[in-house]
Amino acid sequence: MSVLHRAWAIVWKDLLIEARTKQSFNAMVFFAALVLFIFSFALGPDTELLQRVAGGLLWVGIAFTGLLSLSRTYQNEETSGGLEGLRAYPGDPRAIYLGKLLGNIVLLLLVEAVLIPAAGILFQANLWPHAWGLALVSVLGTIGFSLVGTFYSALTVNLRAREVMLPLLLFPALVPVLLGAVNATTLILEGDLMGEAIVWLRVLGAFDIIFFVICIWIFPIALEE
Amino acid sequence: MELEGLSKRFGWNWALRDASVRVEAGTTLCLVGPNGAGKTTLLKLVATLLRPSGGDAFVMGHSLSKDPDEIRQRTGFMTVRGFLYDDLSAAENLHFTMRMGGLKPRREVVGRVLERIGLDDVADNRMRTFSTGMRKRLALGQLLVRPIEVALLDEPYSGLDSQGMQLVDEVVSEFKAAGTTVLLASHQDGEAVREAEQTGILRKGRLEILPDSEPLSRHLSVGGPAGAPEVV
Repeated sequence: MSVLHRAWAIVWKDLLIEARTKQSFNAMVFFAALVLFIFSFALGPDTELLQRVAGGLLWVGIAFTGLLSLSRTYQNEETSGGLEGLRAYPGDPRAIYLGKLLGNIVLLLLVEAVLIPAAGILFQANLWPHAWGLALVSVLGTIGFSLVGTFYSALTVNLRAREVMLPLLLFPALVPVLLGAVNATTLILEGDLMGEAIVWLRVLGAFDIIFFVICIWIFPIALEE
Repeated sequence: MELEGLSKRFGWNWALRDASVRVEAGTTLCLVGPNGAGKTTLLKLVATLLRPSGGDAFVMGHSLSKDPDEIRQRTGFMTVRGFLYDDLSAAENLHFTMRMGGLKPRREVVGRVLERIGLDDVADNRMRTFSTGMRKRLALGQLLVRPIEVALLDEPYSGLDSQGMQLVDEVVSEFKAAGTTVLLASHQDGEAVREAEQTGILRKGRLEILPDSEPLSRHLSVGGPAGAPEVV
């Protein structure tokens, strides 16, 4: 059975557990809503200002919320003996990374499906005309975020100070993703008259491809004791 | 299966040092010894969950350090808690084990195993509602859903009632009859422990194979609760 079949088994298991417990999803949605509310109150009722910074605020919300999901990526294996449980099975260990990655992407996209319309209402921005562009940024940004996050989450899972170490390692590595996603979102929301958003979308695409190759390549080393 | 000077060091401490033994297919090596003596470390090394600091082990000719995946294909590891998920049902846990073991999950196989371990009437109940003994039975069931050549059992009797202990003994006998090599670490007495072809005692990471003349009862906490200090 291939790496993909094993990865799919992990996705199935993680999403089934999440669908039953809703532990991560509920926490992420409430946390994201809270972050957006705080920003919206902090900036006041200036509609023009809110619309100008909406892209940045949205991605700060997504990044903080995503961190919640990432820190739980491997912690939900603890009841089953931690990562050892998955490592004891035969096959390429990259299946573990792929499975966890896909699970994170699906979960984060589901949260964004709630978060982005909510941000539109809070920041008084009409998102419908830009729905396809925003969806593309959201997918590319989420993939990039999850690629790096799932890798660092495995690297820090056995550390005592993992809650501190994960963001410290993750956010510097995410600078290109956040830069690309914030700029592309802002440009799309402003109508992208000069067609500049495509440049940032390319940056996101390139980041996703490069980090996919790197993370898949070195993940077995991250799993070593 | 053959261990050749297998060693494991954590920092400055040797958890296992120069362990050498040969276990023929279809026989049992029972490991006894006090807590922290290196029994679980030895099992984890053979399960390829730890990388040896020295020496090597060979399972059906495959080297632990060179072909770990070949060994994982042939090995099943039952830990004290089992590799089980609280929010999956008993049947789903076994389905997952089959999928991760590279097999297509088959309902009839899972049903047969659940019946064998006495959990067929709670097949669809979530694991978090299970008692310790039921979890242990399910962990044993994980070894039965895919073909293995080496079974590693860490404290298989702990938390089990007499019927559960008998089930472990029966499964070990079936493994041996099928030619599966069994490595069993236990504090407690049981038929599988008494009938083991070889018994190894671990003291401070040193493995010593007991001569047939030495009574095993001296090294077990007979009838005591799981994890009770043993009489050595």
